[in-house]
Amino acid sequence: MGFLAAARAFTVRRGPPDVSAPGRAGGGWKDALFEHGTAAATWLVLFLLIGIAASMAWGGRLAFQTFGFDFLTSAEWDPVAGNFGALVPIYGTLVTSVIALIIAVPVSIGIALFLTDIAPQWMRGPIGVAVELLAAIPSIIYGMWGLFVFAPFLAEHVEPWLNETIGTWPLIGPLFSGPPIGIGMLPAGIVLGVMIIPFIAAVARDVFNAVPSGIREAAIALGATRWEMLSRVTLPYTRSAIVGAIFLGLGRALGETMAVTFVIGNSHELSPSLLMPGNSIAAAIANEFTEADTELYRSSLIALAFLLFVITFIILSIAKLMLRRMERLSGKTQ
Amino acid sequence: MNTVLLRRRIIDILTLVFAMAATAFGLFWLVWILFTTFVQGLQALNLDLFTEMTPPPGGEGGLLNAFYGSAMMILLAVLIGTPIGIAAGTYLAEHGRNTKLASTVRFINDILLSAPSIVIGLFVYELAVRTIGHFSGYAGALALAIILIPIIVRTSEESLRLVPNQMREAGFALGLPRWKLTSQIIYKSAMSGLVTGILLGLARISGETAPLLFTALNNQFWNPDLSGPMANVPVVIFQYAMSPYDSWHALAWAGALVLTVFVLTLGLLVRFLARKRSSR
Amino acid sequence: MTEIPVQSAVETTPFTGTASGQPIKIDIRNLDFYYGKTRALKSVNLPIAAGQVTAIIGPSGCGKSTLLRTLNRIYELYPEQRAEGEVLVDGDNILDRNYSLTRLRRRVGMVFQKPTPFASSIRNNVGFALNFFERMSRSEAEDRIENALRQAALWDEVKDKLNASALSLSGGQQQRLCIARTIAIRPEIILLDEPTSALDPIATAKIEELIHELSQSFTIVIVTHNMQQAGRVSEQTAFFHLGELVEFGQTSSIFTNPTETRTKDYITGRYG
Repeated sequence: MGFLAAARAFTVRRGPPDVSAPGRAGGGWKDALFEHGTAAATWLVLFLLIGIAASMAWGGRLAFQTFGFDFLTSAEWDPVAGNFGALVPIYGTLVTSVIALIIAVPVSIGIALFLTDIAPQWMRGPIGVAVELLAAIPSIIYGMWGLFVFAPFLAEHVEPWLNETIGTWPLIGPLFSGPPIGIGMLPAGIVLGVMIIPFIAAVARDVFNAVPSGIREAAIALGATRWEMLSRVTLPYTRSAIVGAIFLGLGRALGETMAVTFVIGNSHELSPSLLMPGNSIAAAIANEFTEADTELYRSSLIALAFLLFVITFIILSIAKLMLRRMERLSGKTQ
Repeated sequence: MNTVLLRRRIIDILTLVFAMAATAFGLFWLVWILFTTFVQGLQALNLDLFTEMTPPPGGEGGLLNAFYGSAMMILLAVLIGTPIGIAAGTYLAEHGRNTKLASTVRFINDILLSAPSIVIGLFVYELAVRTIGHFSGYAGALALAIILIPIIVRTSEESLRLVPNQMREAGFALGLPRWKLTSQIIYKSAMSGLVTGILLGLARISGETAPLLFTALNNQFWNPDLSGPMANVPVVIFQYAMSPYDSWHALAWAGALVLTVFVLTLGLLVRFLARKRSSR
Repeated sequence: MTEIPVQSAVETTPFTGTASGQPIKIDIRNLDFYYGKTRALKSVNLPIAAGQVTAIIGPSGCGKSTLLRTLNRIYELYPEQRAEGEVLVDGDNILDRNYSLTRLRRRVGMVFQKPTPFASSIRNNVGFALNFFERMSRSEAEDRIENALRQAALWDEVKDKLNASALSLSGGQQQRLCIARTIAIRPEIILLDEPTSALDPIATAKIEELIHELSQSFTIVIVTHNMQQAGRVSEQTAFFHLGELVEFGQTSSIFTNPTETRTKDYITGRYG
């Protein structure tokens, strides 16, 4: 459907391969204008990225100057006293994203396996579209649904049970104990997980399909089952692309704002329990930016945005590079 | 059957079950979310939604000003973002296909596609709102345009690349200058792809909330002027959903329904166009 | 070995014995094959002798690869393809839905046109299917891997780098690796689908030599578009044209004294 353009962008560019565009014909100044105009628009895309990074760094300089390295390590977030530390939102962002990956990665691989290997032909199109629809739903809808439907459901049916069972286990018990309020890092992570499923699944499906049929047939001819095919042929063959897909999902999870803002609880307390409210970088900015009444407060939020931008840039770059390697590999062996 | 074969058979069946369960799991959320949105939204849907202004706390009303604000800002964003996006796409596909600039921008553009939209909102805040001194519809439109541009760049480059080189050669053989060739022949044959890209971008930016929070902000009243704070559907949904009032919740659900139906309809349209294109 | 006169498939079907007088390993009876509605094989009857190399030749699109893909039911991967008739391996109809695919895969190995190494080490490639069919200790598995590599005449070239990626081998080595992978599970029958078409002459010569060696222990069916190759490696040859078995007999007779004009035309290079 194309809602996954962001996912597709990471796989294959189609079209006639580099037959170099014909050179300049004597079109005079209009040609020059046209070409320079398009080049200017291209530069603009580049400047957008640089501009975003620079303006976040500039806007956050007051916070970085005031708190220095402590900004990253302090869990204190006290607008009244003017003390700001990013630890809680950073922690919340990472924890929710990890929960999202724990859910989304196996599910996405399962969906990709189903769509490439198991489902009958007539089913593949409709189910593929349905999975893409998950990416089409605006994140604010995820957020509302999370707040009004999913959180109460968790609070009533799942979290009390978690408290009684896993909550009593040693070591990981504290992660799952706490008042069953339905709002917190676990719900945020689950909603995020559902949101990134279509992105990882779409890329995984594409790269599974890119495994040469000869390789698949050879494995089948040796008697491999579905599991042996997946674990010993398909996944090793597509390893770097799958890692790329996971990083793409991670990049999206880190930066997702609205869905998380609704269900994470916007609390600046550092809590070991996943059932407790927390915060993420994006949610903190969304919730507090318009209320930030001092320069330092605003600067601290922009500094958070700078961190978020840098982290997602790195993660998405890794995703892009891993997938590019796959593109070359499949181009070579096919 | 010996134990090795039995074990493998069981694992094979488990794999099958796992893949089917994973797919069912994904579809389950889709159904649940859409079901909730439709049930809650339909209950709250009435004609007032499209004729009344957003109400004060606890009151009854509609979302007219929000629809209007969203429409204006999205329209303006498309007007800004489309020419820039297509121009850059043209450079990547036609003029500078193999240049260092092109490969760098392809990389950057693909990253901007997935960049956190809230950061883009803050960027426009720093760029426009802070310098001008107040929130405005223009700033909101600018933020949406910045989200739109990478989508248009990507889709237009792709659809221009699909135009066969014979077209370009034929144009040159006729003695057309480059700009005429591109604007009159290449764009025309890539038209459905370009339109698809714009619709896709439209669908994406109509649901965007985060970049509008600090740019257009919100406005409870009718304001046709883009230079002031402007109501818009996503932010109204956000504020109303987070509020303690039932009447606001109902309005938020109704808005969510309209938004979802709009986005899904665009999606189906895009799919229809894409199928028509590939069957041609 | 007494020379048996070449039979014409058109006149005498089904065959009552193999052309060489060896016992029949695979007996193909009235086999039809369909790609959707297209009939790609037409009532093929072919007895394949045990412990020999049988070559299948014919112009492209004649159904020779299709026949091979029927013998291990690999075509079942594609829903629109189906086979009708009987393929008896030692008397059991392997096309029967109830015939265990696991058993079939174990008995019938296949090597493809292009080398198909998995993205894994050389050792893992050869050992890929070892634990599919029987429980095996590590040292046993190591022995089997070494044996298979020796049989595939690859051992000396890779014994010092068993943990290296299989993708790092040359094309010819990769193909011998695929053969090693196939014989490691000790099948009874090996199917070779144009195994040298992607290789250079030297690598091809090595594979042909290998096929000759392997025919001591396996029944081999090879599809090739290279008639010289069929002449060099096989004891029996079947000539297919447009989905029909035109002629089948001792390789030497087929190439020196074909009875059918279509065979003669193909061998003398009039088409194909």
